[in-house]
Amino acid sequence: MNLLEIKNLKMDFGIGADALRAVDGVSLTIGAGETVCLVGESGCGKTVTALSIARLVPAPPANYVGGEILLNGRDVLKMSNRELRDIRGGVVSYVFQEPGASLNPVFRIGNQIKESLKLHRPIGTPAPGTARTNETNTPCQRPALQDYDAEVIRLLKLVGIPAPESRIKNYPFEMSGGMQQRVMIAMALASEPKLLVADEPTTALDVTIQAQILELLHGLKQRLGMAILLITHNLGIVGDMADRVAVMYAGQIVELSPAKELLRRPLHPYTKALMNAVPKLAGGANRLSAIPGNVPRIGNFPPACRFAPRCPMAKPECSEKIPELVEVEAGRWVRCPFWK
Amino acid sequence: MWSYLFKRLLHMIPLLLGVSLLTFLLMALAPGDYFTALSQNPQISPETIAHLKARFHLDQPWYVQYFYWLKSVLSGDFGYSMAYKIPATSLIVQRLWNTFLLSFFAMIIAWGIALPLGIWAAVKKDSWIDRGCSLAAFLGLSVPDVLLSLLALWFAAATGWFPVGGAQSPVNDLMSPAQQFWDRAHHLILPALVLAAADWAGIMRQMRSNLLDTLRAEYVTAARARGLGEGWVIYKHALRNAINPLLTIFGYSLAALLSGAFIVENIMAWPGLGRLTMEAFFAKDSYLVVDCVVMATGLLVVGNFIADLLLAWSDPRIRLNK
Amino acid sequence: METATALLTAEAKAPLSPWQLFRRRLKRRRIAMAGGVILIGLYLMALFAGFIAPYHFERQDRDRFFHPPLWPKLSGFHLVVPRYEAGDGSFVYHLVAGDTKPLRFFIRGDKYKLLCLIPATIHLFGTGDENYPAYLLGTDQFGRDVLSRLLYGSQISLSIGIVGILLSFTFGMMIGGISGYFGGRTDTVIMRLCELIMSIPALYLIISLRATFPPGMSSAQVYAMIIIILSFIGWASMARVIRGMTLSLREQQFVLAARALGQTHLKVIVRHILPNTFSYVIVAATLSVPYYILGEVVLSFLGVGIQEPNASWGNMLTAAQNTEYLRNYPWLLAPGTAIFVTVLAFNFLGDGLRDAADTKS
Repeated sequence: MNLLEIKNLKMDFGIGADALRAVDGVSLTIGAGETVCLVGESGCGKTVTALSIARLVPAPPANYVGGEILLNGRDVLKMSNRELRDIRGGVVSYVFQEPGASLNPVFRIGNQIKESLKLHRPIGTPAPGTARTNETNTPCQRPALQDYDAEVIRLLKLVGIPAPESRIKNYPFEMSGGMQQRVMIAMALASEPKLLVADEPTTALDVTIQAQILELLHGLKQRLGMAILLITHNLGIVGDMADRVAVMYAGQIVELSPAKELLRRPLHPYTKALMNAVPKLAGGANRLSAIPGNVPRIGNFPPACRFAPRCPMAKPECSEKIPELVEVEAGRWVRCPFWK
Repeated sequence: MWSYLFKRLLHMIPLLLGVSLLTFLLMALAPGDYFTALSQNPQISPETIAHLKARFHLDQPWYVQYFYWLKSVLSGDFGYSMAYKIPATSLIVQRLWNTFLLSFFAMIIAWGIALPLGIWAAVKKDSWIDRGCSLAAFLGLSVPDVLLSLLALWFAAATGWFPVGGAQSPVNDLMSPAQQFWDRAHHLILPALVLAAADWAGIMRQMRSNLLDTLRAEYVTAARARGLGEGWVIYKHALRNAINPLLTIFGYSLAALLSGAFIVENIMAWPGLGRLTMEAFFAKDSYLVVDCVVMATGLLVVGNFIADLLLAWSDPRIRLNK
Repeated sequence: METATALLTAEAKAPLSPWQLFRRRLKRRRIAMAGGVILIGLYLMALFAGFIAPYHFERQDRDRFFHPPLWPKLSGFHLVVPRYEAGDGSFVYHLVAGDTKPLRFFIRGDKYKLLCLIPATIHLFGTGDENYPAYLLGTDQFGRDVLSRLLYGSQISLSIGIVGILLSFTFGMMIGGISGYFGGRTDTVIMRLCELIMSIPALYLIISLRATFPPGMSSAQVYAMIIIILSFIGWASMARVIRGMTLSLREQQFVLAARALGQTHLKVIVRHILPNTFSYVIVAATLSVPYYILGEVVLSFLGVGIQEPNASWGNMLTAAQNTEYLRNYPWLLAPGTAIFVTVLAFNFLGDGLRDAADTKS
């Protein structure tokens, strides 16, 4: 059983005639301990898909019209509020784009981390994390939590914050962006999730800090054996991190593939265009090519193949019927009949 | 934090000086004074008037008068009320206390109504509760203090449940302490309610929109993503942040409250600073007008300082910034 | 990557102009439209007060003090007004059953000046018979028709709001623009002054200012005085906001461009910076008019504004302060209701304008 299985998810914003389809038939699986990258431009529905895993998109306006999201085999879309609260943090944790905005400005960071601990791993009871058995590479069962402060310090140390003892009393605004993001990661790890969803965790940070945070996530994954869903618009960071990549365009997945193969040989015209838009250090004096045209806005999606209006290889058929996502080689799925 | 508060405290001094200077200047520009009417009286000799004028430095230019006034105020003496024929200090202190009582209780009532309603409306956004609250707030914002006070007078006169006017009954001195307390409270309730009714609507709307803003904030989504319960998310994470902007508008709301108190005092005969100002105005007792304006401004300034204190206590970004 | 992304996400669809967007949003807010319609009605009524009012505002009916309001009834094809008869002594009136007089329209009556210019005697309605007065809202303690005084009073109370706003906002915008544009010491001095004015509770300052005017002014002078006093206080908050907006606007390209073309500082402020603040100013003005109206009401109510026998909503309410009057003749509160409706309409309109101008939503 996969840790996460999204099957044919369809979600609208609004109801009835005003409804705008934001996510249209997305299917995605993530195995335990696997890292999957979700790539796409802003507005393509990747963040909404990611937030849906713990049903964090406010409803209304969100309206799930079809599909299911199986987390540990249970459908998130059918869960009660009580059950939702258990899986939020307990199974899936989030790291968001803007660490400065995601930390509550008026509480000390130590207290904010402690909040997660008290909720998911209260003192005295065995941590839920110890319940996981065969599916991950947990080396040993850790005993129940004894002391919140000590655990907060351990977590801060784990995410590479120097002198954590003096940092727990800090307010978010007293830290740099990179440090804030480390705190966010520590907070996400506090509840010992099986899946960490990182939504553009480095976009708001300086380039040098970006690399450090990615390095940190990679290292943590190795040590803790959790799965990661990394959302990014930057194909450049996919190679170092991901086992598999899903490319999203206008609410649909257009290509799904093992990361290495995708980078070596993209199949979908959109993926190819994205690759060409990434500057290469070794590529010589090639001009960066931008994709002509604009990202279609939600509600304005082309009727058939959504990429057709901007596609350099578009044929007349492309604007007639929606292409299916088809497995063209082992593990490689493409939503384009002309991928060859 | 201390340097921030110290700076705010230091800021109050030139402000109060400026206010007193401005009011003094205006009073100096005013045609005629208390003695203009007195000099019409054939029973009072011009010598007496000249003597009195000299005693109150009214024969000097206004800026000299100002310095005499400032000197005595700084030593805690607000001079002598020519119209009331008693030292102004005791008069001012008593009236200031009454205005403070009225405003303070009105404020407690208004905030006590506005905050829960604002929170309720924001949490139940677009429900009938929200609509009802915002309609009520519209009506509350639009009903003039004058009309409300008149209606309250009418209500008191028609039902006889509340005394009409005054801060205590004439026989208050003869009562036992418990009776005295009840007597004063009884006189205070209606004016305070009127003032609160004119004041709550703005605060409620502010509370609602602040909470709606913070409920949209990313840290609220992040808190939900950690599995915190909805109640905890709203009442701890969102509300705590929605309070801070409310404290920064506290000053404006207090200024409006004091202006409202001015009207309520004059219509409902509550012996506060506003009523004293009008009495002094009609009696051309210009020093007393200046005293009243400065004291009212002082009340406002002190209120703002307390709001600054609360804000510093509530918002670590202000408290810890050097 | 960054440039590519920027290119990719650039907006494609031709957007509506801000003005179109604004009108479309405003139309969706029925309550704001209702506020606007009520205001147009009120101002039209003020404009034609002499024509609509059945009597002159000074006309006293010495036989009918505190006459109760009369409700016209439909009888056949005519609206008729009943007759009340004075009882014994203390302003008690009895309805005389069956004794009515038809209400006639466009009838000759007291002289007035239409739009304050053209002498006229035609009134919208009346009975044409002294014994059958058309006191729709009753009479006051001097036997004057409350409705007529309400209409004449609206000319003063409603116009003070508009004139006051025009004066203080023009002044506030100029001062704020200058303050923000030049900065430095000018800015410091102006802002300290604003702070000073804003730190005195408004009514205390109003009364202090009122003291500087001599007694025995003509009604036109009193009118001007009230506007001056209210504007003296009102400009400060406007100037502060405009200054803040100017501070950010002056750094923008179009200001530099205008300067580079050799325009004077004043022209840059008036032609290039201030127009950018208009959407804020219009909303703020709509929401501020009530304060000016209420300012006049309070001054006149306290007896230091518009003087008898001239009518204003404020001085009409003074009579209602007498609890004995208030209990027995509640129609004296009619001006209070008029103020309430006006302020409510301004708030509805202003709130709708603000939402419609808010580009965030």
